[in-house]
Amino acid sequence: MTGRVLQVRNLGIRLSPEFAVVIDRLDLEPGEVRVFDSASGTGKSTALGLIGAAIPGGGMPGESLRLCGRAVTGGAVDRAHCAPPDVLGFVLQTARLVPFLTLGENIALPMRLTGLAPDPDWSRHVLDRLGIADLLGRRPDQVSVGQRQRAAVARALWARPRLLLLDEPVSALDPANTAAVEALIAELAAAAGAAVLLASHKAAEGAFGGAPRCRHRLVIDREGVQVSLFTGQEAA
Amino acid sequence: MKQALMIAWREMRHEWLASLCFVAALAGGLAPLLVVLSLKNGVIEAMVDRLVEDPANRELIAVGAGRHDAAFFELLRQRPDVAFAMPATRSINAQANALRNSAGRETARAVTLIGSGEGDPLLAGAAPFVAPGGVVLSETLAKALQLQAGGQVEILIARDIDGRQEAARADLEVLGVLPAVRYPRAALFLALPDLLAVEMFRDDPAITPADWRSPRAEPDSYASFRLYARRLEDLTPLAAALRAQGVETRPRAQNAELLLGFRDTLGLLYALIAALAVAGFWAAMAANLRAMVARQRVAFSLLSLIGMANRRRRLVPMLQSLILVMAGIVLTLALVLGLDLAVNRLFESTTGETVARLRLCDIGVTLLLGIVTAVTAALWAVRAIDRIGAEDVLREG
Repeated sequence: MTGRVLQVRNLGIRLSPEFAVVIDRLDLEPGEVRVFDSASGTGKSTALGLIGAAIPGGGMPGESLRLCGRAVTGGAVDRAHCAPPDVLGFVLQTARLVPFLTLGENIALPMRLTGLAPDPDWSRHVLDRLGIADLLGRRPDQVSVGQRQRAAVARALWARPRLLLLDEPVSALDPANTAAVEALIAELAAAAGAAVLLASHKAAEGAFGGAPRCRHRLVIDREGVQVSLFTGQEAA
Repeated sequence: MKQALMIAWREMRHEWLASLCFVAALAGGLAPLLVVLSLKNGVIEAMVDRLVEDPANRELIAVGAGRHDAAFFELLRQRPDVAFAMPATRSINAQANALRNSAGRETARAVTLIGSGEGDPLLAGAAPFVAPGGVVLSETLAKALQLQAGGQVEILIARDIDGRQEAARADLEVLGVLPAVRYPRAALFLALPDLLAVEMFRDDPAITPADWRSPRAEPDSYASFRLYARRLEDLTPLAAALRAQGVETRPRAQNAELLLGFRDTLGLLYALIAALAVAGFWAAMAANLRAMVARQRVAFSLLSLIGMANRRRRLVPMLQSLILVMAGIVLTLALVLGLDLAVNRLFESTTGETVARLRLCDIGVTLLLGIVTAVTAALWAVRAIDRIGAEDVLREG
């Protein structure tokens, strides 16, 4: 599939009267990787949430979010329609799985919810590479933190998404796991042909160390609001 | 729907102890309520009905002696609120000095005589109606005389004329025995001409013991009457109508109105108790489901993030509510129906009637109320889900 995966214009939200997070311009082509590597507390997760349509945009002037060419209105109600699992995959900082479902059910759930059928070859490949094929019948509380995170990665990649959003995906893992999991994510994302947007303050050390960074600035707007501004151009 | 059902079911299975406790709590509250309903349908209503239907409770007793002519009785019989009316003698004459089993030695003294006839509510359905020469014995009397239907009873009526003692006798055919539930004391039911013959023999010296039962002209008026209202509710207006004519009466059952009130209130009382129980259960269910949403807030947010539409998420507490309530009702019904069966078996031999009974419509109403309660109780949880967005799980990290 070709065509621009992501197009963002002036998408933002005011988190408090004094602080706002805005992505003023960000375009991603298939397979392209960008990194948000600003300091903690600058709104990296919020920026990913805005792009993933999990956080509705605050209605900035000229606000626009397009996923695979489709305009996204944002908000929880529209997510199922705007960001199906073959368009968007999301990996969170701590492996968030539905606690009362097995790993297998968790991984398959996004596609089941949208009525999509998984590709058996791709599914097998993902499970084999992540090393969790034997754990599918276990519940999240019956496996390790690292295995949970691998399941979360599998869930995000199960439908070969066009865009993979990674929010500090390895920060909760022990050092031995960190490099391995990050390398697997990079490998599988590349194999899926997904564009990747990674939020991490340690990106320079891992598999995405060479990926271009988004520019980040803290500016004060005309109303005196501090704006954490992300721009999709490589930092100088 | 399928995915929502799978999620609802898995969550309950994961929290199986909490789910089981809730079903048990529901059964614990509902079962006594249905047991009370079973007993109300069975023994309590049967008892109240028996009291309400007991014709003795519908009797108006004449106070003092009067002069009631044929027109009075005709008017009474035409009233729609009168079930039965017939003349009676003065109460002093309504007694036999003795009764004896014609075929044996058993004797009963000072036995009450009750004038009866076609349509007598005390006899209706329980014993044959009397006819001249034929009588019905109350069960107590029949036992005392060792008599049953088909036997003969000798009646002895004594009088004192100027210090001379005389006695009239006659053999009467026993047509039937009236069960004690209809009339518990010793009494002889006999036809009006026979009762009149007793009165006339005592009052008229010209009548001899030899011809005392010969046919005679009816008197112009009667001193008393036997009167039964059609329904318990008719007692008060009927007594008032008689009082307006200068005829004083009193109801045999002083508590008839209380009884009527109790019957009417019984259903209302149960409905009130049931409503209170349902309200309590509704609150418990609503709180339980709301707590589930609070417990699984992050999971519900995650479900939104991975693409579960809100209308599907809303179904989760709704389905859980329905499953839990239905499980609770099914468990309750199994317990109560089993208990009813056991209780009925236990009392079958002693009472001969159904003590506890749950009707099909009761089960239907219980299920319907359960569904309404389940759906409405889930609304609070549904509202809570509406407020959980996909961003919540991002904030949690």
